[in-house]
Amino acid sequence: MTRTRRVNDAVVGATVLGVLTVLIAAVLWVNQSALGDRRDTLHVRTRDVGGVTLGSPVVIRGVRSGRVDQVALGADGWVIARLALDEGVVLPEDPVALMQSSSLFGEWQATLLDGSGVPPDRELRAALSEARGAGDTLPGALLPDIAQLTAVAGRIAGDVAEVADRVRTVFDDSAAAELRGTIRSVSEVSAQLRRTVAAQAKNIDAMSVDVQRGVRDLSIAATVIDSVARRIDASTSRGEIQAIVSTVQQAAGELLATSRQLRGLSGDVARTQVRLESAVANADSVFTKINRGEGTMGQLVNDPRLYRNSDSLVVELRSLVADIRANPRKYFNLRLF
Amino acid sequence: MHAPVARRLLVIRLLSALGARSRAATEMIGRAARFVAETARAVPDVATWAPHATLHMRILGVDSLPIGAFIALFTGIVLAMLADYSVGDIVPPYFVGTLVEKSITMELAPVLTGLALAGRVGANIAAELGTMKVTEQIDALETLAYDPYAYLVVPRVLAGTLMFPIVVATAMLVGVVSGWLAALVLVDVSTPQFLKGVRLFFTEFDVRYGLVKSASFGTAVSLIGCHAGLNARGGAQGVGGAATRAVVISAVMILVLDAFWAIVWLTGRTLK
Repeated sequence: MTRTRRVNDAVVGATVLGVLTVLIAAVLWVNQSALGDRRDTLHVRTRDVGGVTLGSPVVIRGVRSGRVDQVALGADGWVIARLALDEGVVLPEDPVALMQSSSLFGEWQATLLDGSGVPPDRELRAALSEARGAGDTLPGALLPDIAQLTAVAGRIAGDVAEVADRVRTVFDDSAAAELRGTIRSVSEVSAQLRRTVAAQAKNIDAMSVDVQRGVRDLSIAATVIDSVARRIDASTSRGEIQAIVSTVQQAAGELLATSRQLRGLSGDVARTQVRLESAVANADSVFTKINRGEGTMGQLVNDPRLYRNSDSLVVELRSLVADIRANPRKYFNLRLF
Repeated sequence: MHAPVARRLLVIRLLSALGARSRAATEMIGRAARFVAETARAVPDVATWAPHATLHMRILGVDSLPIGAFIALFTGIVLAMLADYSVGDIVPPYFVGTLVEKSITMELAPVLTGLALAGRVGANIAAELGTMKVTEQIDALETLAYDPYAYLVVPRVLAGTLMFPIVVATAMLVGVVSGWLAALVLVDVSTPQFLKGVRLFFTEFDVRYGLVKSASFGTAVSLIGCHAGLNARGGAQGVGGAATRAVVISAVMILVLDAFWAIVWLTGRTLK
């Protein structure tokens, strides 16, 4: 009896122990619990984690790199999620965490990515900017899931339906008839245009020949201009233009000085003219007096006797001078003391 | 004058029948409650029931493992096939794993195993104790100053309560593994996909819920079996009736408790 009881105890104990061990191991394995594994943990601060729960995967560039280890409410309306990363996982630069739906069936994940790779959504970036805190806590934000997107799409569909109703209201039967008439008119105009284009095609051909000729002439002119430009460029490069310009500048300076001198001379000429006019007037007066026989010169000019007297006086003076030269002591007595 | 008297007698007879039924039901509840109270009272008498506990744990638990595993083996296969058939092209294939894991651990392993053990364990206990009752062995025990509750009921109830979860845990493991193999071989769902589905919505609560539920099933089945056996009357026919009654009531109680635990633990709870 005792031996049987001992066997029963052993069998039951082994069974209980074995089943519980296998069950616990299976639960831990399925739950991906890390027993003894070294895992790096980091914290994410976000306003909302959406559907991310304990055990949700952490994904870096599409590769599962850990799991959400803890989700807890924080102060000031924040939610703090602790992520347990697999050993050796290297975070991207400036990492941020996006809580997002990973499928249409309620699966969520925490995606770690570089801050520069965040989708260009203004609200999302604002949320990440707001979530940036002190220390090693990563900023996080919630991406809208399919339900929210569907709601937005529903609103858009409603707007489209409203627009469609308005379009239907505008395009009633009469509008449609007018539209058909307009289309017919456009078709006729199009045919006319086609005929006109066909008629003008020849003119356009002639014009194109002229244009080609003109283009050729322009090409030749361009060649000439190019050669002239080359020459000018060559002259410019040798300094001749510069020398010409400096010479012209010098000549302009000289012209300026000459003009100034001429302006001064013109002043002198004016003054000389005044004097000449005065002199002429005086001369005229003098000549008038002379013609009238007034004064010494008038008498001299108009009375021959005066000339003769003067001539005899000169002759007498010449004889006097010759006498002086011949007999100086007769006229001059020089004494000292 | 006769008509009103007859009508009055009919009313009195109906009221009497209703009262008798109510009294009987109340008596049944009272007897069951008294039975449970007597069992609880006998639990401290460890010296009486402890030497026999492992024997009954082996009979009720260890010997029931093959039945639980067998049921779970085919349940897992059927579930994998059923999941693929139901949602094959609508949802990703890894949901086969999710469906198998959730169904097996939370519902099918506890309930199907409980129903199977209700037949095996409940009938076994009721028949054994019923035979002892009709052959007056229990009276002999009382004559020898043995407490029949401590000697007969407590070790069986404890064995059922403790070993049902063990059998159900085995069924859970076997069911999920068989579902995995079926998904791999028969449904063409790869192992990573199946594991992804299993892990997707798995929480420890799934297992805890199934084990607690199975423990309550074990308690109910063993208590009902003991109660039916100790209340057996007559000869072999009475023993057979007690066994049948134990199986039926146990099966019903398993379903009632299943709904009870669902209401208590799953109301307002989501997989968020």
